[in-house]
Amino acid sequence: MKLEFRSVLARFLVYAVLSVGAVAMAFPFYWMLATSLKSPQEAQQTQPIWIPERLKPANWMAAARLGAQGGSALWGGYEAGRTVTLRIYTGVQGQKPRVSIPTALGAFSDPRAEGSLIRIRYAEGYWEISFTNASSESFRLLPVVVLLSKEYVGYRPELPPDAVRSSGDAWRLEWVNVAPGALGYIFHNYREAWSAAPFGRYFFNSFFTAGTQVLVGLLLAAMTAFALARIDFPGKGVVWLLILATLMIPGEVLLIPNYILLSRLGWINTYYALIVPWLASVFGIFLLRQFYLSLPNDLFDAARIDGASYWTQLVRLALPLSVPGLVTYGIFTFLGAYNALLWPLIVTDKPEMYTIQRGLQVFIGEAGSDYGALMAASTFSILPIVLGYFFAQKQFVQGIARSGIK
Amino acid sequence: MQTQRIRPLGNRPALLLGAAVLLSLIRLAVALELLPGWTYGLVAVLLAGATLEATVRALRTALLPGLGLLLIGVGLGYSFPIAVLLAPIGVGALYLAWTPYMSEREQAAFWGWLLVWPSVGLLLVWQIVPSLYALWLSLLDRFNFIGQSKFAGLLNYEILLTRDPLFWKAMGNTVWFVVFTVPIGILLATLVAILLNEKVRWQGVFRTLYFLPYITALTAAAAVWDWIYNPQFGFLNWLLGTPGLDWLSTPQGIFALALAPLGIKLQGFWAGPSVAFVAIMVMSLWHLLGYQVVVILAGLQNIPKEYYEAAQLDGASWWQQQRYITWPLLSPTTFFLATLGLIGAFQVFTQVLIMTPTGGVLQDTLTIALYLYNKGFRDSDFSYASAIAVVVFAVILVLTVVQQRVLERRVTYEA
Repeated sequence: MKLEFRSVLARFLVYAVLSVGAVAMAFPFYWMLATSLKSPQEAQQTQPIWIPERLKPANWMAAARLGAQGGSALWGGYEAGRTVTLRIYTGVQGQKPRVSIPTALGAFSDPRAEGSLIRIRYAEGYWEISFTNASSESFRLLPVVVLLSKEYVGYRPELPPDAVRSSGDAWRLEWVNVAPGALGYIFHNYREAWSAAPFGRYFFNSFFTAGTQVLVGLLLAAMTAFALARIDFPGKGVVWLLILATLMIPGEVLLIPNYILLSRLGWINTYYALIVPWLASVFGIFLLRQFYLSLPNDLFDAARIDGASYWTQLVRLALPLSVPGLVTYGIFTFLGAYNALLWPLIVTDKPEMYTIQRGLQVFIGEAGSDYGALMAASTFSILPIVLGYFFAQKQFVQGIARSGIK
Repeated sequence: MQTQRIRPLGNRPALLLGAAVLLSLIRLAVALELLPGWTYGLVAVLLAGATLEATVRALRTALLPGLGLLLIGVGLGYSFPIAVLLAPIGVGALYLAWTPYMSEREQAAFWGWLLVWPSVGLLLVWQIVPSLYALWLSLLDRFNFIGQSKFAGLLNYEILLTRDPLFWKAMGNTVWFVVFTVPIGILLATLVAILLNEKVRWQGVFRTLYFLPYITALTAAAAVWDWIYNPQFGFLNWLLGTPGLDWLSTPQGIFALALAPLGIKLQGFWAGPSVAFVAIMVMSLWHLLGYQVVVILAGLQNIPKEYYEAAQLDGASWWQQQRYITWPLLSPTTFFLATLGLIGAFQVFTQVLIMTPTGGVLQDTLTIALYLYNKGFRDSDFSYASAIAVVVFAVILVLTVVQQRVLERRVTYEA
């Protein structure tokens, strides 16, 4: 299409409309990422926080320094025998801050931090609070609460607190982890979400399910499509009719009878239940048949004269020539299987058999108001597909485009 | 020409393989109580005989392949869940075992059926038979595994269609979903696709941004949107400048809300979708837009450029070109997307479950798929849920046929 956009206004309009749309499309992703890096207090602010504290490089330095004292500069910790020193710059010496290590509530932090010695002293311009782990145990997190008198107006802690609340005549500064390390600081929510549920297992289940569905499904669809397109066998009409009939069945109709069949087989909570019912794909058969029909007849006649059996023709000729179709099918099947929620919801009720979407759905219920962890879990659940998209952008888009063309 | 092949083991390995798979299938049938248990034992004895014979032959002729096949046979016999998949191999192997030399026609018949059998078998087991089974289930009275369920005729349908306000609520919501999202989605996507089809800079970036939601799992996307819509801390409330407004849980329809100040009262379906359901529709539009844009872009690129050049020579304006060339020639694509949107509306589930797990206040966000899920898997009333599924099937079938008939006359295919 070639159109003359002579006026600057028209071009401006094109970009304006596209940009506004793109911002609207991208905003939820930005919000997911931003929230996944926020502390609980930042996440629950009515006034939106555009750049969370945990994204500011100046804070990373402090986090790394404190993390190195407690364990490692990258992931922090609170190892046995280590001392972590936190400074709060106040400028003047006023009332002494009160410091405690709370027995952290909620599922996302290490409850025990006993055997800690807390020393508080004033040096020039700052209060120095040191925590010494006198026990023989190491802890992953070091949660800290400091009550700082409100007489300090311009205080500045070395590491910004995760929450600041008013508590009587004092500010209540809260850290979920005072010695986080640089990565432990930035990716705090990710780390906590990951350890709150067996997401590794969920990922494995999803990849295994989707991968098997793609590979086996591809082979089956290619075989069927090849036979339908290239072999004249008695009964072909009946098979084709059967496949056309299947096309009309909506997914809902299958949920209950398939569930009953699966439970009678004892397949609930197995990979079979997740994979087998969806192996045969009418979409794949249609797509690949179209491909095989478009290949020239001479090619197959020549192979036939050379003594190639139908199987050889399929494997050596048809499959390599239909790679675009196979990729399209693969992408659709993988997306469908990886993103599916309803089917895993029905056929699995044990956490070790959850797929990532099923696991995420449960996590959304359980995490409740911990939106940081929730958004972190959502982010890493979509990450594999998004990364896959960036690596194989062309195939993705062409595959989708191909789905709409008769 | 198929040359004769020499098989050191005769046809026995194939026979063995086939028998093992058939055994698995019979185990399957026994498990489903389709066959009495002793059939299984009988075949097991036969298989043991075949195994013994194959072993002896294997020892005499070729040790390793024989042993390998033996192991496969035993393995298959004991892992019947794969039987459904392996059945075609068994059937093929049996056929091959009995007719080793085939004419051209026989070869075509053999390979044709062998290649289509896996898919056809799976489609039969997991789609065709289950749909018929759903039809049967829907005629039973409260089937839920426990207790006796008896034939009830059309009772489920009678209750569903005449005495179940929730079903009609879900149907109404689905209708609103189609009415709101399909035309808006297609219009928006066409607009974006036309703009993207011009020579714009950063085309790839734009396309990626529009496309990303589509490949994002609805579970995660719904969690984010739920967060954006959150009544206390949600971004949208800040944007609208009304913090603390619990507007998502307003069960009234938006038409009723909009017309109330004028003194007009609307009720039931005519009150329109609830605010919460509109929120879910917006999210669904966002999710699907990229897909629609890509499909329409592909449709646009199939339109010959000569048409536009000719139109320009005739002095047609930009708008006229879109109206008289793009729109009619794009109609097959639009038609495809409309059909897809229609069928998709009946499957809206994930976003509703995540954002309003119980179907919202007064079930104002209940969709057909969620209702079916609730009836079947929360209330364990499988026969009633099957009746819902069958009604959905009928509705989709009728709508698609009508749509095909009505629209096909208007859809312009390329000359």
